[in-house]
Amino acid sequence: MVTEFGIILLYFILGFLFVGIALVMAALIRPSHPNPIKNSTYECGEIPIGEPWIRFNVRFYVIALVFLLFDVEVVFLLPWAIVFKQLGWFAFIEMIIFVVILLVGLAYVWGKGDLDWEKPKPYIAKLEDLVLGKKKQ
Amino acid sequence: MMDLNYITEDLIKSVGQFLPETALIITFLVAMMADILFKRSKHLTGYIAMAGLVIAGFLLYHQTGVNFKGFANMLVIDAFGQFMKYIVLLSSLIIIIFSFYSDELHAAHSRLGEYYTLIIGMTFGMMLLVGSSNLIMIYLAIETMSISSYILAGYTKEVKRASEASLKYVIFGAVSSGIMVYGISIMFGLTGSLNLFDINQYLASHQVDHLPLLISGLLIVAGFGYKISAVPFHFWTPDVYEGAPITITAYLSVASKAAGFAVMLRFFKTTFFGADQLLDGTWHLLGSINWHYVVAALAILTMTLGNLVALWQSNMKRMLAYSSIAHAGYLLMAVSVMNDGGVSAVLIYFFFYMLMNLGAFFVVQLVSNKLHTEDIEAYSGLGYRSPLIGVALTIFLISLTGLPPTAGFIGKLYVFTSVIDAGYYWLAVVGVLNSVVSLYYYVKVIRNMYLRDIESKEDKLVFSPSAIVIVFVLAVPTLIFGMYFTPIVEWANFSMNIFIGN
Amino acid sequence: MEIGLTHYLIISAILFSLGMFGIVARKHAIMVLMGLELVLNAANINFIAFARFGGMNIEGHVAAIFVIILAAAEAAVALAIVLNIYQNFRHVNVDEVDQMRD
Repeated sequence: MVTEFGIILLYFILGFLFVGIALVMAALIRPSHPNPIKNSTYECGEIPIGEPWIRFNVRFYVIALVFLLFDVEVVFLLPWAIVFKQLGWFAFIEMIIFVVILLVGLAYVWGKGDLDWEKPKPYIAKLEDLVLGKKKQ
Repeated sequence: MMDLNYITEDLIKSVGQFLPETALIITFLVAMMADILFKRSKHLTGYIAMAGLVIAGFLLYHQTGVNFKGFANMLVIDAFGQFMKYIVLLSSLIIIIFSFYSDELHAAHSRLGEYYTLIIGMTFGMMLLVGSSNLIMIYLAIETMSISSYILAGYTKEVKRASEASLKYVIFGAVSSGIMVYGISIMFGLTGSLNLFDINQYLASHQVDHLPLLISGLLIVAGFGYKISAVPFHFWTPDVYEGAPITITAYLSVASKAAGFAVMLRFFKTTFFGADQLLDGTWHLLGSINWHYVVAALAILTMTLGNLVALWQSNMKRMLAYSSIAHAGYLLMAVSVMNDGGVSAVLIYFFFYMLMNLGAFFVVQLVSNKLHTEDIEAYSGLGYRSPLIGVALTIFLISLTGLPPTAGFIGKLYVFTSVIDAGYYWLAVVGVLNSVVSLYYYVKVIRNMYLRDIESKEDKLVFSPSAIVIVFVLAVPTLIFGMYFTPIVEWANFSMNIFIGN
Repeated sequence: MEIGLTHYLIISAILFSLGMFGIVARKHAIMVLMGLELVLNAANINFIAFARFGGMNIEGHVAAIFVIILAAAEAAVALAIVLNIYQNFRHVNVDEVDQMRD
């Protein structure tokens, strides 16, 4: 009888075997005719420019964080969905309130211009606006 | 699944008792929408926030005398919580009024809507924290208030000091709440529940290993200790207080401390003490871990370090930061006796502490608006340059020292009385010695204001009349309550019962 | 040998210690935040293990969900603050951010 640690060990062994066998088989079967073009990063012909370790635009970070937050909040929908049938309307209304609060958050992010890739430039009042008393948007 | 109907009923009933918090949530959402819809109006969200706080206070007033456990025993409404919630709401309101006068905030006025919205969010978190009786609820509430306060501490983000303050605040805060949640998980394993009432019942009827219980209790107290800046967890306090905008410094030193003390008292009382309330106000401890001495040790460390380091400070905000650590020590002294007298002393002290500390910070803010510095040297001659403000600051500082005839004296009197009544004479002696030390650094400022010969004496500082009125709205009660304190004491005695019933 | 509660608790204690080590020893703000995530996940493992082996109710699972969500919220704010530190100081080394000293 295998103990539970034994089962884990078996998993490890199987995992290593699987990868090892696949690599060895591939190395045996595939033809090997290297040339400079074949060895380039993108075989399709795209020429790589510069290092991959560049600083990413900070806008990726804003979008990613906004996504992460809303994504994680959705976890709450899971337990709700399980008991939804038994709780009925009450749970439905509760969840609507929850989602509305999230939507207000989304609207806030939108309204603040954080969803736009190009942030809208702040409108700087010109002298003529002040003189004529009208504002162009 | 027959439980579900019961749960639904409980939820519906709880929502009906949850009105002040609901009002704050709605205010939060309205303020957010107003911020994006009416970008031009500078203070609109501020007024919305004030209105929301007043409505929440009004709804809170209607909860007088209610003892209620709701949301599957997650939140409790009782007189103790009500008192602390008043302090939280009142200080939030005062801070919003202060913010209207702050020059440093208005340098970043395009984001001012966020500022007021976050203050409402933080108030909401503190209201939850004061009433929570479930460990996960406590964690959730602490995070709600912390996340708002991290942003507020670095609100003037172009200022290097402010961004440093918020970095230190977020790292220390996140670590201590992480440690706390680990403690919570151990407590959950030991007692099989996250609910303080169930944990209490389990401890009353079972024998629990001492060491894990002590460790998990200490880890949880680390989370509270961070909020009230008790000593081993105080490292963030001076830097954050110095770097954050003055309004936020004042807010952190009063409101978030109030919430921290409230939850700490509730946690100890509900978890580690027998549910059978004795008539003379003593609590009986479950198990053999002596939490009195744990908290007393924290108290001694906290006040001694706070007072001693405050002696060397040359920056007014930093000095007040260490002074607020010292005050946390005095309050912990009253917590450590763990009986009804101690709770009542904490409540009395907190009410007066709110008045005097907010007042002192408001004066610092007004002076820094004019002189653009918080250096104690800059206060030389203030007593002549602006007599009214000088008198008010003197009142606040004397009250912080705890000398008669100010409210601070009454607060300290009750704290020491509760400690002596419980028989901890040594603790009271340490407390008195500390108060004597604190005299030095408070009086140093007063001496600077009046007794220094400097040439700028004639150079008058003119403050707006409304600002002076606000200063005196805080200063006059500080004096009056020093002589006529019966209503506050009666109110605190009425509020000292922490709800334990089942 | 049966895998029981103790093993999970040991794993979580190791994770907690590693996390604390990361928080204390690392200078880079992002690394400190990563250490923090380890601490929170150690607590999560505890919650789930106790709920599974202690024969306890659903509370432990719910607690873990809340911890995950709050960790995400906290990380979001913390990263924003670190970004702001970078804009002000041009680096994010925690122990070199010291404008204020006693």
